[in-house]
Amino acid sequence: MVGIGLRAPHYAPLAHSRPPLGFLEVHSENYFAAGGPALAWLERFRRDYELSLHGVGLSLGSSDPLDERHLAKLAALVERTQPMLVSEHLCWSSIGGRHANDLLPLPFTEEAIGHVVARVQRVQERLARAILVENVSSYHAFAESTLPEERFVAEVVRRAGCRLLLDVNNVYVNARNHGFDPSAYLEALDPASVGEIHLGGHTQCDGMLVDTHGAPVCEAVWSLYEEALRRFGRQPTLVEWDTDIPALDVLLGEAERARAMQMVPAHQAMEATA
Amino acid sequence: MSRALAPLQRDFLAGVEGDGPCAPGLEVYRRGVLENRIGALGAAYPVVRRLVGESFFREAAARYARAHPSISGDLNEFGDRMAAFLAAYPHAAALPYLADVARLEWAVHESLRAEDGVPVDFAGLAGRDPDHYAALRFALAPSVRCIASLHAIHALWCANQPGRDGTACHDVPERVLVWRRAGAVEMRVLDAGEWEFLDAVARGETLGACHEHFGDDLRFAGMLARHALDGVLGAVAE
Repeated sequence: MVGIGLRAPHYAPLAHSRPPLGFLEVHSENYFAAGGPALAWLERFRRDYELSLHGVGLSLGSSDPLDERHLAKLAALVERTQPMLVSEHLCWSSIGGRHANDLLPLPFTEEAIGHVVARVQRVQERLARAILVENVSSYHAFAESTLPEERFVAEVVRRAGCRLLLDVNNVYVNARNHGFDPSAYLEALDPASVGEIHLGGHTQCDGMLVDTHGAPVCEAVWSLYEEALRRFGRQPTLVEWDTDIPALDVLLGEAERARAMQMVPAHQAMEATA
Repeated sequence: MSRALAPLQRDFLAGVEGDGPCAPGLEVYRRGVLENRIGALGAAYPVVRRLVGESFFREAAARYARAHPSISGDLNEFGDRMAAFLAAYPHAAALPYLADVARLEWAVHESLRAEDGVPVDFAGLAGRDPDHYAALRFALAPSVRCIASLHAIHALWCANQPGRDGTACHDVPERVLVWRRAGAVEMRVLDAGEWEFLDAVARGETLGACHEHFGDDLRFAGMLARHALDGVLGAVAE
């Protein structure tokens, strides 16, 4: 099953061509409005497609109290659209009531695991469903970290009873930026814990890879996706493209490539046994 | 020294919001956070952006973000105080209309996201005893915003849409109605009578009281019908 990220410039062409897609994924916050055209488009597409709500602003890892107003809006959107998947990022965005509105990195510590686990559980309780959390790309490593990233991610998912939205591009970006083996990262994850995969493009900037979602998926990330399919089976896969948004056909071409890779018989067999 | 999570996050955000020398990794976050904010403000204020030009807008957006940090995980809520910020921004003093254009753009931004509302129930009204019409109270549709300015903000807004050359005479007072019709935000200039009428409706006055402000039956009936059909008026609140 393969989906694409739904962005406003694609509303009209997508409604016109209605290509076969496994699902559409949206940033939850873009549909927090009480009404209006964006929400009307979403409800229209919901009639033709499965939906995945992907939050960017809940600030799961923040030391601030959980933002119940934000969570209530998410709950209302979940109720309204009955999505197939609901996900958030394994990161933080705000502290002391100030929002960076960006996906900021967590230190990989026992304290952070305990903190995030409790909050994921609160969110799952409020939404009355399991969520997925996504591993984020990062450009800073905290001296406080006592665990490798993959152990941190695996522990949060295991203890919170949620699933992992494995962003293969983020694994690749972090592997390059922080110097680890991306294959070993995948091998450290429980094969049954992954419930969705993200693919996206990154750009190179000052010797660092930056997860911009503004470029095609690179060959190295496609190879890592191949490995992920072998290990985690044919999970719902999303091609993200959020900045410098291309024509719909370009995005659909990327999605088609992911779909073709899922069709390889070995990955189907894996799904049957998962 | 190992910091607990809360102080670590406070230090990190201070670093992201700071402007001194920093590690290349932190610089990626600084750039990302700034671009997100400029992008969010640019999406809400495209006409302001065009009026002042790209480099002016980027600088103003960065200063706005420092003066009014984002307090919501939803970037669509960021930028609500841009008009007040621009009104007091010394570099914008040569553009006296800029803050009011920002008010108009924020009204559009809010109107787009307002509740869908309920249209006027004409069949229900037709079934009522006409003697009771004077006691009716209408609600304004949730998407309605009314902006008054000493400047021709509607003309400026129209002249600065994509494909237009930006030419507009700005020193004419205007009252502008912003609302949503058939899913799209619309705006038009109101005359003094319409402005007073909508203001009276917003205050919860009865149709009878609104009519008394007028006197001119024909004009009142025409205006009432127009606003009802356009979806500016909403449910009858009794």
